[in-house]
Amino acid sequence: MKEHVITICNGTACINKDVRGLQNILEEQLVKLDLQDKVKINVSGCLGMCDKGPVMIVYPGYTIYGGVTEKDITEILQEHIINKRPISRLAIQEDNLFNRFFRIFGDTKFFGRQMRIALRNCGIIDPENIDDYIALRGYEALAKILTDMTAQDVIDEVKKSGLRGRGGGGFPTGTKWQFTADQINDQKYVICNADEGDPGAFMDRSAIEGDPHTILEGMIIGGYAIGANKGIIYIRAEYPLAIKRLEKALADAEAHCLLGKNILGSNFDFDIEIRLGAGAFVCGEETALIRSIEGRRGMPKPRPPYPSVSGLFGFPTLINNVETWANVPVVILDGGSWFSTVGTEKSKGTKVFALAGMVNNTGLIEVPMGTTLREIIYDIGGGLPNGKQLKAIQTGGPSGGCLPAEYLDTPIDYESLAKAGSIMGSGGMIVMNEDVCMVDVARFFIEFTQSESCGKCTPCREGTKRMYEILTRIIEGKGMPGDIEKLERLGSMTQKASLCGLGQSAPNPVLSTIKNFREEYEEHINEKKCRAGVCKALLNYVITEKCIGCGACKRVCPVDAIDGNKKQMHHIDNDKCIRCGMCMNTCKFGAIIKS
Amino acid sequence: MTTPLETLRKKRAESVNRILQKGYLANTRVYVGMATCEIAAGSKDVMEVFQNAISTGKVKDVYLSQKGCAGRCNLEPTVEVVEAGKNPIKYGKVTKERAWDIITKHIINGEVIEEWVIE
Repeated sequence: MKEHVITICNGTACINKDVRGLQNILEEQLVKLDLQDKVKINVSGCLGMCDKGPVMIVYPGYTIYGGVTEKDITEILQEHIINKRPISRLAIQEDNLFNRFFRIFGDTKFFGRQMRIALRNCGIIDPENIDDYIALRGYEALAKILTDMTAQDVIDEVKKSGLRGRGGGGFPTGTKWQFTADQINDQKYVICNADEGDPGAFMDRSAIEGDPHTILEGMIIGGYAIGANKGIIYIRAEYPLAIKRLEKALADAEAHCLLGKNILGSNFDFDIEIRLGAGAFVCGEETALIRSIEGRRGMPKPRPPYPSVSGLFGFPTLINNVETWANVPVVILDGGSWFSTVGTEKSKGTKVFALAGMVNNTGLIEVPMGTTLREIIYDIGGGLPNGKQLKAIQTGGPSGGCLPAEYLDTPIDYESLAKAGSIMGSGGMIVMNEDVCMVDVARFFIEFTQSESCGKCTPCREGTKRMYEILTRIIEGKGMPGDIEKLERLGSMTQKASLCGLGQSAPNPVLSTIKNFREEYEEHINEKKCRAGVCKALLNYVITEKCIGCGACKRVCPVDAIDGNKKQMHHIDNDKCIRCGMCMNTCKFGAIIKS
Repeated sequence: MTTPLETLRKKRAESVNRILQKGYLANTRVYVGMATCEIAAGSKDVMEVFQNAISTGKVKDVYLSQKGCAGRCNLEPTVEVVEAGKNPIKYGKVTKERAWDIITKHIINGEVIEEWVIE
């Protein structure tokens, strides 16, 4: 075990200041001073102190050194590492909300590339203890706006930050707040959309379970900014622990006078209640969600009017996603101009992703916008297991698309992903290797959306169902020439004519797989072949000459499709075979192959 | 009149005080991941082992707390051991048995079990 860890910021600003050169010098000096067994060097993503670069952090103790020069390196090693005396002249005392994260996680490869703003407290504090949150500057943003900011100041700060909706749409948050604030009405509502329904996504759940108070604080600030006194958290009933922690957080906040009447002694009142969703995917769509809260069937309605004009019960309503709310306290405390230094020109801040699929480190990650897919999959995710090749990356869940390996260097931001044919979505990211059949993937997602379609508008109801039928046909080996074109036509019609986001985005998995993996569709239809060996109907099991005639496969075959005499090569009758694969798993000699 | 900021500063001082009274400044702090996913992977059992070790007096001067999901899905449940003046150590895939080993080897004898450390 090393005694010290030195984390070196490798953000763009620090690299421009030749931090890599400094790292070489540091490594040379470590050898020279015979410290290489005692000190471990770690490289991290942007530490968010760009104006003070090059930045290094020395553990234990978490001393941050800024503006480090070649000369300082020797001093740091001599004084701090050998003599155990941190150098106060170089140390910077930053109390940014987010960089605390590195205090605990900075020394793993997985966390180094990340920058945690929305998840800044997740995995650090006890989520059921309000003291933990308050101690780490919790509710300070709220106190700050109540003390010396007007509602318009708050909105301007959010606008300045460049924060955009994290539910997937990417609408500028400040603009949305302004629209709602501009409505003159005694009654307004603030809603937190925690109806996370994408298969494989768990960003919102983890954010709430890890740090419920930041959502509440964000919502109270939103209420103050638009002039609302009532907030509602719409969360799916399938998240019992998240609900329990939210309820505890609400009770604690109220007991501490951070919620309810006269918050922190000011004349601002705000209440939050929790509404449970019944699990319909379409209720993540804002107008359907609002109807569900109203006690009606969760179905979308045409916009405009937008919820900011006529939302819950016809009153102006501000609705944002969990992750968006979690960013708000940071925007207020560290400032909109700081926030806008993180990310790309048009997409500011960070994004949380649920990294899943065939990747070594699956997990919940938060990276600055502009990070490439390659960095996420290979640096943070640690690459693909078992030496398999990357085939595609699916982003955005059932509303998103599949990008092939050529797009690995695409930076993550709203525009670049849309241009590549996928979407940011709420943050699902599934890594797929060569064992995955793209037609099957498209069918999986369309099966989900067609069963979740509410049925109100014809393009979505019929379009998704018919696409599902055609894809099923292709997978079963009954595909016909012209099916691809049919899918394309149906897909583009469903995209254009559907009422809400569910239908408009439902064809994305199909269209993007056709665009990027058309040859796989053609093989399925024309050659009745599935190169990944996934589609069972297109698969034949064959016994090769390695067979010694032991009869093991014959005994396990559930449909008696295998024939052969003892000690002679056996055969499979492909008309009887149901492609269960039992024979292949049983054979000890590797004599049975898929073809 | 006190401003909301002043009111909050007072609250923060009280919060910090309460945390300190719970023994935060102990020589060793142990955090066990307790999000839905970690609980599903078995972190409740792990938590129990640490709780028992503290209540029976097997270990002394230890501050135990739960925490939310840090994001290492494939290595859950995770346990973090923070000792004064040392680099924090994070263990992955902790079971009841491993938790017991962490108590006896790491917390009591100060030997880090490198095999399970998340680097």
